[in-house]
Order: sequence, then C-alpha cells, then structure tokens
Amino acid sequence: MNCQAMREFVSDLGAGELSAEAREHVGQCAACRRLLGDARLMQAGFRALAEEAAPEASLGFASRVIRRLREWQTQGERQEFFETVGRRFVYATLALTLALLLSLALPSSGPVRGVAGADFLGLQAESQSSQPDVIGGELGDSHDWVPERLPH
Amino acid sequence: MESLESEATSEIECIRRAQRGDGEAFGPLVERHQQRIFSIVFHLVRRRDEVEDLAQEIFLKAFRAIRSYNFQSSFATWLSRIAVNHCYDYLRKVRASRISYYWEMTEESAQELERKVESPQPRGLDHGEKISLRDFVDRLLARAPADDRVILTLKELEDLSVEEIAELLNLKSSTVKVRLHRARKRMLEDLERWRQEVK
Repeated sequence: MNCQAMREFVSDLGAGELSAEAREHVGQCAACRRLLGDARLMQAGFRALAEEAAPEASLGFASRVIRRLREWQTQGERQEFFETVGRRFVYATLALTLALLLSLALPSSGPVRGVAGADFLGLQAESQSSQPDVIGGELGDSHDWVPERLPH
Repeated sequence: MESLESEATSEIECIRRAQRGDGEAFGPLVERHQQRIFSIVFHLVRRRDEVEDLAQEIFLKAFRAIRSYNFQSSFATWLSRIAVNHCYDYLRKVRASRISYYWEMTEESAQELERKVESPQPRGLDHGEKISLRDFVDRLLARAPADDRVILTLKELEDLSVEEIAELLNLKSSTVKVRLHRARKRMLEDLERWRQEVK
C-alpha cells in the first residue's frame, strides 16, 4: 500500500479496523501514522459530539409556533387584500394609458373614427409650416397657397 | 399496533386539515416532531441559543409549504428535509472560522488524548477530554463547507444510514457515499493545514 491509497482508505475508515496491509504501511510511514491519528481523533470527536443531547423544546413551544402561524395568516390575508387592490389599480392605469396612446397613434381615416389626434396634430403642424405670414402681407415663396382659407 | 395505526391516521388527518389552512391542526404535528427537528438543528448548527428560533422558522416554513406535501415520503422525512435545507442556508450565512480549544491544550495532554483515541472504540476518556474532543470536531465542522458539514452531521451525529441521507437530500446512495468520502478527506486535509498554521 502507498500513501495515496492509505489516504483514500483512511477517508473511508470511519470507525472501522485497519487491514493488515494498512497496518504494515502505517508501521513504516510517519506521515500516514499522523493521518491515521487524525482520523481516529476526528472519529472520537464525532462520537463525543453525538453523545451530547440536543436541547429539549421549552414548554409551550408548539403553542408559540401556532400563535406565529395565526399572526402570519392574518398578516397574509391583509397583505393579500392590499396586493389585490394594488394590482387592480395598476392594471386599470395601464389599460387607460394604453387606450390614450392608441387614440393618439391610430390614423384618422377609417369608417368609424374622425380626426385622430396624431393626424390632427400632424396636419396642424404641416399647415402651420406651409401657411404664410399674412400679418406682414408677404406670401413668401409659396405660390400654391389657397386664398379661400384666408379670413375675410 | 393499533395505537400506532391510529397515530398514523390522526397524523394524516392533521396534515390534510393543515393543507386546508387549519393552523390549529398543525399543533399536534409540531408536538410530535419537535424533538427530531431540535436534534437536527442542534447537531447542524451547534448553537444552543439558536436552536429554538431556527426550529420555529422551520415549522413556519413547513406550514407554508404543506400543500406541496404529497405523502410520497413520510412526514418526518419531508419535515427533516426542510430543517436540513434551512440549516444549510443558515450555515452558509454564518460560517465561522476559529482557533480550536484542542490547540490550547498542552502538548502532553494532546498526546495523551491522541493515545486514548488510538483504538476504534476509545475508552477511559474523562469529561474534560470529551469536551476537548467535542470542541475539536465542532471547530473543524465550523471550518468545513456547508455541504460537507451537513452530510457528515447527518451520518456521524444523527446516525442516519446512507439510504436515509439519500432520501433526505434527494440524492442517489452512491452520490452520498462519494460525498461522505470527499467530506472526510477534505476535513483531514484541513486538519493537516491547520496543524501547519499552528506550527
């Protein structure tokens, strides 16, 4: 047996006995003797730890758990109510915003709709840019301007 | 025999009621399993002052998740799984590294202790030596990664079989064996490193 094999063997050892081969190797190798000593120490430590009794639940432990459960349930119901209301409010706001955006974005032409906001705004901007400054009496370079649209 | 059966029936009844949201029905389940949960928590966490708080959190977690319990494994196993996972999260948060009490022993006392544990079943350990040994492994466990600590604790302290650990951790038995082997090996290596640090 070599040191590597001994290391693997010791890692599996637990509380087990050494084989004759391992005993022979340990007799010759100080490092493996040390390793085996550590493994034994660890094993004994585990046993000593296992002997130590866990603390017992104090009187009324179950009742305290149930009390906390009730608190959590009440809190949960309240939280659920606010969450539901909040969620509905958010959905309603989103729906309204979407409707508003759609009414601004959709074209004005179509069988049902009249002048859509976006088109209306677009037209207005267009007409404003093409309309000459009539106050000064100058028509600028625009020759295709329609005089009927002037106020009388 | 009959009382065992009726106990099992009443446990199932309590579980079903708790699954319908009846908190009161959870009480008998807490009472029945609290000591097992205390033991798991204590061995994994090793802090007496934390055991009760952690156990409470575990039972609350179990109640919240009880609808997911499908009677495939025993309720005790299902509950223990929640306890192990909860402690695992706790250990990852508070993993500490400290100097061992074992190292504070005089060289003669340490040698004497090592001589006594040479046999696989050491006898004649006095109370102080047992405390030193406990402290020694306790601190080695505290230095270990949470995975190693959980699996070694379940095997060595909770005295569970490889199959029981496999069921608890949702692993194959062969995986548990490999992990146990690696955990022991890492712990021994850590002990060697520790010795070097102290020197």
